[in-house]
Amino acid sequence: MDAKLPAKPFNKSAFVIRMTLLSLAALTLVGFLTFDYKDLDLGEAVKKTGDTLGTMFLEPHAKHFTVGEAFQQVIITIGLAFLTTLFGAVIALFLALLTARNLSHPVVSLVIKGVVAFIRAVPTVLWVLIFAVAAGLGSVAAVIGMTFHSISYLVKAYSESFEELDDGVIEALRASGAGWWQIVFQAVLPSSVSYIISWTFVRFEINFAVAIAMGAAAGAGGIGYDMFMASNYYYDLREIGFITYVILGFAILLELLARGIKNKLRTNH
Amino acid sequence: MTTLLELKHVSKQYGSDTKALSDISFAVKEGEFVSIIGPSGAGKSTLLRCMNRMIEASSGAIIFDNADITAFRKRELKKLRTSIGMIFQHYNLVNRLSVIENVLHGRLGYKSMLAGVLGIYTEEEKKKAHAILGVLGLQEQIYKRCDQLSGGQKQRVGIARALVQNPKMLLCDEPIASLDPNASKVIMDHLAHICSTMGITVVVNLHQVDVALSYSNRIIGVNKGTIVYDGTPAGLTKDRLRGIYGAEYDELEGSGGRNAG
Repeated sequence: MDAKLPAKPFNKSAFVIRMTLLSLAALTLVGFLTFDYKDLDLGEAVKKTGDTLGTMFLEPHAKHFTVGEAFQQVIITIGLAFLTTLFGAVIALFLALLTARNLSHPVVSLVIKGVVAFIRAVPTVLWVLIFAVAAGLGSVAAVIGMTFHSISYLVKAYSESFEELDDGVIEALRASGAGWWQIVFQAVLPSSVSYIISWTFVRFEINFAVAIAMGAAAGAGGIGYDMFMASNYYYDLREIGFITYVILGFAILLELLARGIKNKLRTNH
Repeated sequence: MTTLLELKHVSKQYGSDTKALSDISFAVKEGEFVSIIGPSGAGKSTLLRCMNRMIEASSGAIIFDNADITAFRKRELKKLRTSIGMIFQHYNLVNRLSVIENVLHGRLGYKSMLAGVLGIYTEEEKKKAHAILGVLGLQEQIYKRCDQLSGGQKQRVGIARALVQNPKMLLCDEPIASLDPNASKVIMDHLAHICSTMGITVVVNLHQVDVALSYSNRIIGVNKGTIVYDGTPAGLTKDRLRGIYGAEYDELEGSGGRNAG
């Protein structure tokens, strides 16, 4: 035989992926070769970027506020994230019950899924700016807008974890005469509580990041606003570095807290 | 003995041309142990679920305890379902909860919405659940999580959940289809014991002909949605079995695996 025997059968999706990667690599190469660099010296530019980052992160200082005030501002930002996650989680829990296919009417489920998908498609920042038209730029618009997006995100996450529950369990409880609310609280929620906790924490982390951006973009206050002032008003690179460290510290703290709670839940059950 | 359940000309149609059950009529007496046998897709599960209206029959009447249950409204239906226990092939327990919590779920139908939601059970109900679990040999497992149990143990929890309802009848949908022979025997012995000592009527869907023959007072053979045999196990000759299972029966015999299912 002349032709080599293929080691594996022809796979359409693998072929498509390979061709996509190949064309992306080619485009990248063409891009770099045809850039208009003006009179920029690449070596010098990289060095300067390094210098800037060095100033930012190696010599951080707090000039326009004290360390205590920075902590206070981060607490405000966390408060914004916590509040919007809490509102979102409570409202989403009930909407998700109406959205889960195994618990709800198919039409109701489809309508909520559609609306929620639309809300999710628009970024949180945009929702905050939309609500700012009515509420004015500030914390009110931020809370409403972030809650709005949190609801849509969590409805999807929660309802999908509800749908994981075996239909047979619901059938068994219905066959013994249990009502809808009883089934929800005795079978559906106990089965999906660890998913619910995980998704809520994921959203809390997202909301923390968004809350920082909201401080800068929508005047919601908190550490984001200080960062905005440091970068756009005082042009103080060192202070930006300091703020970044504070945020990083708190993010790690939150992560550890979330992991602690999750581990505790796992051993309890 | 009085008649507990009677089906009169019950039919079930899915869509416009798929007939799952056609013109099924039979009566079950109090305290009987009835097995329903037949090939896969014959309509056994549909038939069983029509008896507690988990599936609505398209036509016909179903009389349970002297009342026509096809006319029942929500409240009456709930009451009916509390008096019929159901057992499933895949046990259908809430795996993340403990054995006792799963057993007490059988009481939900008797409770107000709020008491059920909060899981508030009376001392009496808890005592009863403990007693039933003791009878079924699960006293060691009472506070274990259900996902730590073996298949046979899970099915016994399923039986306990049905018994705590104080049912007049047990409907069992392929209760031993996922179990090994030893566990199957334990489960079937428990069901027979429940039937003979507590006087609870038991209706079982079975795939295993030999099990049906040795445990039941009466066998109903179903094929393509109609009853093709209704009588004692003794009267179930090879010819009649061939009538229930069609050509599939010869294969069952030929392979020597009477347990095949």
